[in-house]
Amino acid sequence: MKASAFKTVYWKEVVENLRDKRTMLSSVIMGSIMGPLLMVGLMNMTVKMQKDKSEKPLELPVVAMEHAQALETFLLAQGVEIKTIDKSPEQVIKDKDHDVVLVIDAGFSDAMAEGKPAKVMLYYDDSAKGAAKVTVRRARALINAYSKGIGNMRLQLRGVSPSLLKAVYIEDHDLSTKASRGAMLLSFLPYFLIIGLFAGSMYLAIDTTAGEKERKSMEPLFLNPVARSSILAGKLAATVSFGLLTLVLTVLAFKLTLPWYPFEKLGMSFDLNVTSMLLMFLVLAPLALLAGSIQTIIAAFAKTFREAQTYVGLLIMVPMIPSMMLMFLPVKEKLWMMAIPILNQNLIINQMIRGEVVGWDAIAVTFASTMVLGLALAWVAVQLYNREKMLFSD
Amino acid sequence: MISVQSISKSFGEVEAVKNVSLEAADGQITALLGANGAGKTTSMRMIYALIKPATGTVMIDGIDSVKDPIAARARMGVLPDARGLYTRLTARENIEYFGRLQGMTDADISRRIDEMVERLGMEKFIDRKTDGFSQGQRVKVALARCLVHDPQNILLDEPTNGLDVMSTRGVREFLRDEKAKGKCILFSSHVMQEVSAVCDDIVVIDAGVIRSRGSESELLAETGRTNLEDAFVHLVTGGQL
Repeated sequence: MKASAFKTVYWKEVVENLRDKRTMLSSVIMGSIMGPLLMVGLMNMTVKMQKDKSEKPLELPVVAMEHAQALETFLLAQGVEIKTIDKSPEQVIKDKDHDVVLVIDAGFSDAMAEGKPAKVMLYYDDSAKGAAKVTVRRARALINAYSKGIGNMRLQLRGVSPSLLKAVYIEDHDLSTKASRGAMLLSFLPYFLIIGLFAGSMYLAIDTTAGEKERKSMEPLFLNPVARSSILAGKLAATVSFGLLTLVLTVLAFKLTLPWYPFEKLGMSFDLNVTSMLLMFLVLAPLALLAGSIQTIIAAFAKTFREAQTYVGLLIMVPMIPSMMLMFLPVKEKLWMMAIPILNQNLIINQMIRGEVVGWDAIAVTFASTMVLGLALAWVAVQLYNREKMLFSD
Repeated sequence: MISVQSISKSFGEVEAVKNVSLEAADGQITALLGANGAGKTTSMRMIYALIKPATGTVMIDGIDSVKDPIAARARMGVLPDARGLYTRLTARENIEYFGRLQGMTDADISRRIDEMVERLGMEKFIDRKTDGFSQGQRVKVALARCLVHDPQNILLDEPTNGLDVMSTRGVREFLRDEKAKGKCILFSSHVMQEVSAVCDDIVVIDAGVIRSRGSESELLAETGRTNLEDAFVHLVTGGQL
């Protein structure tokens, strides 16, 4: 049976790279599984630490507790473990011995007796990570509660209702749903999906171009009586296939690790059904073509495998930009944004994990815009080797 | 039959090949003899239609290789200077890959591989992955790979470069067999003894220009020397030595 050049090249590249354990491990497997696993681990750790900090008895180092005995009684009644420190409060925070230190002012009891605001000082590091902030918040809440209790008592003694102090009160209506709270924690997902896809095709993009040139098999290959463009098209198709394979594995890995995410503990819910998974794949699939083509173009200009690895590796930073941006900046989705590849995939997947219905117009624009750009770049990649100087590494 | 009419090629400022013309007839082994950097590889690359000549024409069995490089390539089997194999594939798979790209059927490919295995003595390693092959084994596989479609014209760029005596003899013997079958063989070399041992017709190239051509005895007569090396030196130094 005769096979077309495209098919011949495609299957040769696929078989050859499937045999390479390094490709499979470093790009396909790592690219797809690392992200979801990393996130499960991190999320569980964060939740556990926050839970520990908020449920365990608060350990509060206090300096000069003797100035405020009533406060001490209050704190003890609230189950606080009062500690003493042998360093300065600044040093304690700097050395991370404790998250917060309470210092009672020397004039505390006098001010208290005179009915003036009595001063205490809280030492903490506002730039510290989440779990430390929980401790600071708890300490602050305790002092405020004590202050409020004393204040109310004073007013009542004078025959004034404490509610007079509350001219306005706020009734909270939090409209976040369980799914949207889950989405906040899952905003990394589009990032991992896209990175996985880039990582999956990277190795082949390099191996089939710069690698082939370095191994000196490029020239003999091009001496066969077939158009260079069909050889390149076969190579590119193999590259894109590996990107798609990694994408499928990432989505599956994410689905399979879902039971280990601490959604319930956080009062959140999230589910990924088959339709959503297919939709994710549909939206991201044209990006595999785009990624494979750009990587092939870049790798084609490199003379050696290592050189190509450096350039193509840097490329992975690009999809980070919209992902990172959207993690910190809330953006209202507009249809024109769906015409920008990578940004559009980020937006749509974020919408999906928030449990919102994604409009078919947005999906269509995303698919079409990514596909058009992908095809244009693929065309460039396929034509590249018609230039003579691309053929030789010397 | 390869017919080259005044081809030239420059890379930037450097004129690598200037007005080179040559003919390689069927049933003969023609050598393109020149020192390193004389323009052998560039000439060969233009002849086997990898790069386009700036001027001139190359005809392969009457097909213009500039106008129709794909048809011309189908008439040629080329062992270029670059002869990397795919190390994750077996020797057989390497050859099969090129066979399919030549448009051969699987049955034809397997028949031709059997023939090449026997003629080049590749029985021991044909089904092994080519990673770690010796230089001699690699050249044999590369040769079988580029000749899998049994082409009429065989072009080789420094075919025995880096080979030991036994492998060199194997390659020479193979080329003589092909010549006996009426094939047109053109190879480039800088090794005098080799050219002397196998070639019927010698084209001497230096600094991108053809200095002389003829059989070994004709070149010796022209220069008045007694061996090819002296004749070659005489030709490329413009008669100073």
